[in-house]
Amino acid sequence: MGGGLIFRIACVLAVLAILGGREALADRLDLIQKRGVLIVGVKSDYPPFGMLDANGRLIGFEPDLAAELAHRLGVRLQLVAVSSTNRLQKLEEGAIDVVIATLGDTPQRRRIATLIEPNYYASGVTVVAPPGNRLSSWADLRGKKVCATQGTYFNRPMAQRFLLDLQVFNGTRDTKLALRDGRCVAWLYDDTGIAGILNDPEWANHGTPLPSMMISPWAMAIAASEHGSRLERILSDTIADWHRSGWLLETEQRWDIKPSRFLADAHELWTRVRSDGDPVCTRLASGEWPTECRNKLLLTSTNVVGLYYIGLLIKEQTGLNLTILYDAYDRDLFLSGLWMTLHLMIASIAGSLFVGCLGALAAESGISFLHGFVRLSAAVGRMTPPLLLIYLVFFGIGHIVVTRIGWTFDGSVIATFCLSTYTGCAIVVALLEASTVLKHQEPGFALGWRNLPQVLRLAYASVVTSLVNVVKATSMASVIAVPELVSASTAIVAEQGNPAVMMNVLMITYFLLVMGVVRIFNYIECRMFQHDVR
Amino acid sequence: MTSAEIVGMLLAWTPFLAGGFAWNILISLVAMAIGTVLGAVLARLRLSGRKSLARASLVVTELTRNIPTFVFLFYLAFLIPAEFEISGQIHVFPAWLKAALALSVAVVGFVSDNLFVAWQHWRNHSHAAALLFVPSWTMYLLIIVMASSTASVIGVGEIVSRCNIIIAAVGGDETMLWVYAYAIGYFFIFCFPLNWAMGHVKKRLLARVSTASSQKSGE
Repeated sequence: MGGGLIFRIACVLAVLAILGGREALADRLDLIQKRGVLIVGVKSDYPPFGMLDANGRLIGFEPDLAAELAHRLGVRLQLVAVSSTNRLQKLEEGAIDVVIATLGDTPQRRRIATLIEPNYYASGVTVVAPPGNRLSSWADLRGKKVCATQGTYFNRPMAQRFLLDLQVFNGTRDTKLALRDGRCVAWLYDDTGIAGILNDPEWANHGTPLPSMMISPWAMAIAASEHGSRLERILSDTIADWHRSGWLLETEQRWDIKPSRFLADAHELWTRVRSDGDPVCTRLASGEWPTECRNKLLLTSTNVVGLYYIGLLIKEQTGLNLTILYDAYDRDLFLSGLWMTLHLMIASIAGSLFVGCLGALAAESGISFLHGFVRLSAAVGRMTPPLLLIYLVFFGIGHIVVTRIGWTFDGSVIATFCLSTYTGCAIVVALLEASTVLKHQEPGFALGWRNLPQVLRLAYASVVTSLVNVVKATSMASVIAVPELVSASTAIVAEQGNPAVMMNVLMITYFLLVMGVVRIFNYIECRMFQHDVR
Repeated sequence: MTSAEIVGMLLAWTPFLAGGFAWNILISLVAMAIGTVLGAVLARLRLSGRKSLARASLVVTELTRNIPTFVFLFYLAFLIPAEFEISGQIHVFPAWLKAALALSVAVVGFVSDNLFVAWQHWRNHSHAAALLFVPSWTMYLLIIVMASSTASVIGVGEIVSRCNIIIAAVGGDETMLWVYAYAIGYFFIFCFPLNWAMGHVKKRLLARVSTASSQKSGE
């Protein structure tokens, strides 16, 4: 009895194994070509990516991709409407061959379906703002009331990265009303969704002033069992060709979609050539695309080598996402920020000393009018918050100069000027105090070019305190978008969502910079005293 | 915009800006309070006579001196959660308190150094020299008041944020110049009398110190 049951189970398993084996052998591409039809699942409710026309036909950006694909395979096309919930299930059942339906590329989805690389499009999050808004960067929204729609994946991370005061509403209708009533300055939403909303005449005067963030690439999908098949390879090559030829950019334009940075970047990447004339993105011997042509978010340390490997390994082992170590873009951003900060520091020290010495010399030049004027200016300068001064000069005076004379000044120049003025005023006061002391000691003492070093030496401690303060204050240049360390770090946090790591890196870097400056001044002081002893 | 219109606009928004400036003062006072208490502890440790404690205090003081407050402001803004939960109750961590905490770091270093010196003077019975701490402390408050304008970058509704709100609401290209200049006026009106008075106090104290020392040398 028991033996019979085992035998029967064994028979069933054997049959299943044979069927399963035959299924695996039957290539999906053969099936498509035999039936002469490619069945593609697309969205019907996501204009202009996938929607129904007046005759109930499926049209849009993604149906165009499907048509081109069928054309390339030399078969007819059949479109099937799918939803976000059933698209992968229908694929697994075999009811459709390919899914092209706004499917975001994630590691979880890669486990249940075969997602095709390269990605063909990407969505991100941006804001819709009413006409007349003055938004130019995400930092302008810091601390502002921003409307958001409940249930989106990006609300929380965006609020954390940009310190937004989110007003979360139920559903897009409520959010639209809230924005119209001025309850918030902008509405945080999916940029591809916004593309559909802005086609509505009532919303046409609204705009999307900010670049998209949290870019999530979209992938075509085929069944999990098709991994490594000929179909996967053909699809992959087709998308690569589309990126190279710029056909996706044309299709995007044809549907009046705001040009996405993703497609422009992908076109640039896939047409880039090495110094020997070969394209950068050619298949390796293993059949895979090179690392730089793949979706960086989904790579693991097993896919890469070198610094990239170390960085990803640290991330996988400890959770510390040190993108500035392994991501070339972030690393360059951070290093150029560091370079800019060093420039600002040196320029501000020199500028402050210049303003301070010149002011003190003018005050002591013997012209009584100048003396009073410098004293008053120094007092006013010391009581003007440097941040307000930067705003006043950059936006207020800068605007008038541009419109009247046509001159524009670089933000870093303006920041250096303002910080030097503020600190220079403090140095003027310190130098004048020192000169008063010297006057008491040596009757007939008068400050001039010759004895300026003597006065500087006497006022050394307070002058250095002011200079160290201006070094610390250079980070304020970030408020007028000077690409220094703070700007670079907040930009990286915004892109990568790693505030804990980046903020600590920023603090340590600044700490070391300030310490270095203090050390240099101490060294100069030591040398000065040695000189005195001799 | 005519000058009459500009004056009218600035007058209309005066209460709003004054409310913002009150925030600047509050943030600065809280920062001074936190910084003074912590700085006093550090100064006391430096005078405790125990080498290990004194050295530890010196290291902490050195640390606070090298931290730029503007960067620290971002650090706290990003790393302290806006809300936190204690035994099921949701508490809000307001942005202005983050700003006050960031500014207080600079105060800690200042108080630790200056109170240390003042304390030594007090022990040596040179009371006037010790009292010099009071005008320096007040002058430092003014520096912090000016630094408090940076709280605007993390969304605190102080005077600079309110300037930006007014500029957005009124529009017009020259508005910016006048609104910012007017805001600078607030700082000047607050700081100038205090600065003048403290300069006076400092002079009186210094005079007392020099007479005391000359008396001592005369004995």
